[in-house]
Amino acid sequence: MSRERACKTMPDDEDPIIGDGEEDWFGEADPRVPDARGWTDAGQDIAFLTRDYEEPAGFEPSYVPSELGDSEAELRELERRLEQHRTPAFPIDLRKRLPLEGVWRRWRALAMWGRSDVVDDFGRDPRATARWEWLFEFLYSKWFRVEATGLEHIPSHGRALLVANHAGTLPYDSAMVMHAVRRDHPSRRDVRPLVEDTVFHLPWLGPIMNRIGGVRADPANAERLLEKDELVAVFPEGEKGMGKLWKDRYRLQRFGRGGFVKLALRTGSPIIPVAVVGAEEAAPMLGKVTWFAKNIGIPWIPVTPTFPWFGPAGLLPLPSKWQVQFGEPIDLAKIAGGRADAADDRLLVNQLADQIRTQIQTMIEGLLGKRRSPVLSAFLG
Amino acid sequence: MPGPSTPSVGGRVVAVTGACTFLGGELLRRLGEDPRYTRVLALDVRPPPQVGGKVEFVKLDLTQPTVDGELATLLRSAKVDTFVHGAFLSHPTHAAEWAHELEDVGTMHVLNACAGVEPRRFVMVSSTLVYGAHPKNPNFLTEDAELRGHRDSRFVNDKVRAERQVARFASEHPNVETCVLRFAPMLGPTVSNMYTRFFSRVVAPVMMGHDPLMQFVHEQDAAFALAQAVDSHATGPFNIVGKGVLPYTTVLALLGRVPVPMPQIVARQLTKVLWTTQIVGSPPSFLDFLLYLCVADGSRARSVLGFSPRLSIKRTILDFLGVAPEDGATDVARASL
Repeated sequence: MSRERACKTMPDDEDPIIGDGEEDWFGEADPRVPDARGWTDAGQDIAFLTRDYEEPAGFEPSYVPSELGDSEAELRELERRLEQHRTPAFPIDLRKRLPLEGVWRRWRALAMWGRSDVVDDFGRDPRATARWEWLFEFLYSKWFRVEATGLEHIPSHGRALLVANHAGTLPYDSAMVMHAVRRDHPSRRDVRPLVEDTVFHLPWLGPIMNRIGGVRADPANAERLLEKDELVAVFPEGEKGMGKLWKDRYRLQRFGRGGFVKLALRTGSPIIPVAVVGAEEAAPMLGKVTWFAKNIGIPWIPVTPTFPWFGPAGLLPLPSKWQVQFGEPIDLAKIAGGRADAADDRLLVNQLADQIRTQIQTMIEGLLGKRRSPVLSAFLG
Repeated sequence: MPGPSTPSVGGRVVAVTGACTFLGGELLRRLGEDPRYTRVLALDVRPPPQVGGKVEFVKLDLTQPTVDGELATLLRSAKVDTFVHGAFLSHPTHAAEWAHELEDVGTMHVLNACAGVEPRRFVMVSSTLVYGAHPKNPNFLTEDAELRGHRDSRFVNDKVRAERQVARFASEHPNVETCVLRFAPMLGPTVSNMYTRFFSRVVAPVMMGHDPLMQFVHEQDAAFALAQAVDSHATGPFNIVGKGVLPYTTVLALLGRVPVPMPQIVARQLTKVLWTTQIVGSPPSFLDFLLYLCVADGSRARSVLGFSPRLSIKRTILDFLGVAPEDGATDVARASL
């Protein structure tokens, strides 16, 4: 559905900047119901300029066009009057000699290339998503050869919280989880991955992740998304999960402070455990350098077999064979006994977080156990 | 949802400070047309163009040291039941001392007068900039979010201080219905503020690699919200925001402006020089709003105040530009001011 939707938001009209405004409705107020001003939303752009306009008493038009007169002379007269009222600014005088307006319109069309003029509340841009689609498809089917299992556990509608393990220098795993659901799930739902601060505020990468659906990991954001019945993917290991060294691969770190459990309890959303295998081999971190890293705004500089030796190209992932397994949904409210204040019970929250962590660890070990050899099949599959 | 208040026997009397601001003027016009209001006092240092009929001009300089007594006498004699405090600057100024006297100390004078007279309703005009742009901001700031202000922007911090005074006033005077409206940056064909000036330039700085989401409110939606707030019984702070958000670079693209990406250090030094030499009207602290989110959530205004914006951010931008969305005609005269 998302691919269809992404295509639908790219109309074939001549002027991509000016849409018909149909897609402008963000679902906040019904545009057909007039508000206290008596306005409905359709075609309101200039209505207040023209609506109920009456010429004030004693108004004398400065120029009355004659019905039978010389239209050329009338036009000249109108032009002369217009010139008198125009602000004598430099670019306008220039405009009479150069086709600047055409240039300017060209520039606007060019600047809008690859981006849409309507994004959703969290900054997901359908056109930008469609623009990067090929890259995800290539990584998913050709590079990592992802095998996704258990997709039937994801509901076709309604909220759910995907909880996954985290690895790799760059968050390829969240992209692959997102793409797996979008590509292979029958209802092709969009997953909104929560991105940790350090990645979200990375120059260039952060805005791109935001445009294709990433949301800064913040309890308020996650709650708002779940209230809107979205699929949210969370990586509770966070920065520690990304900073795992090669020797600690597939050993789950502490699951934050159990914020995701509180979130699921508060919003009543089921938790779907997700095990991602292969991300550790895609960017095996041999070591990390913290010296100087803080100065450029990142927590560490990773040392992998390819980075920093091959420069930025070393950030490309190795072609490991990936497996993504979605587990059965866990209804936390049932485990908590339907208590309303369960989210405030710190002991329970921590216990549930650890329970889910253990479950994901078991899923990972099950997937690893199917590999014939520890290193070779990590790449050959 | 509270309905419009019933007119009292003599009708309502409203006093508006900052009558010459955009919102003040729009409010005067709307109240002047509304038969439920019998008298509207426009308080400012110079008469606004809307004066006439019910709208009376009273010269009042909030920077004068004894203005509070003067104002209290006026409120008492005119039997003002609703006070609208809108005397805030819409763009930063180099006269920071004067701005402080007007916004922070001026609010103190206004509150001193209102504490004695206790009008039925007190409405303050504020801005969502008081939340500040911060990397830890959630995508939608609700009204109970902390007012972070900005580390070194007196323009924002004076408004934060004024808001804190009003919050204290509200807790000390529970029988005054105190309401604070935090407006998102306003855009539109007639309003003038820091953002309209910023977007009127042909080039705009872009912080290399950063592209925060931005939010605006159309001037007509904003003016309507203020009139609605004067009319209703709702209390507490409200975010008055437009519909939808757009990334900063998309805003520039829609406006047809030329983005100039530069590293933060360069941008800060350059803006410092240009601000000090008064070539640009936005101080270096404004650059943080091009780096991080400062987007507010308008759902409380929708459910409690009964205000929902009608114009989307795209329409707002095109209207500011003078582009009719139907035909896509452009107005370079407006665009290259």
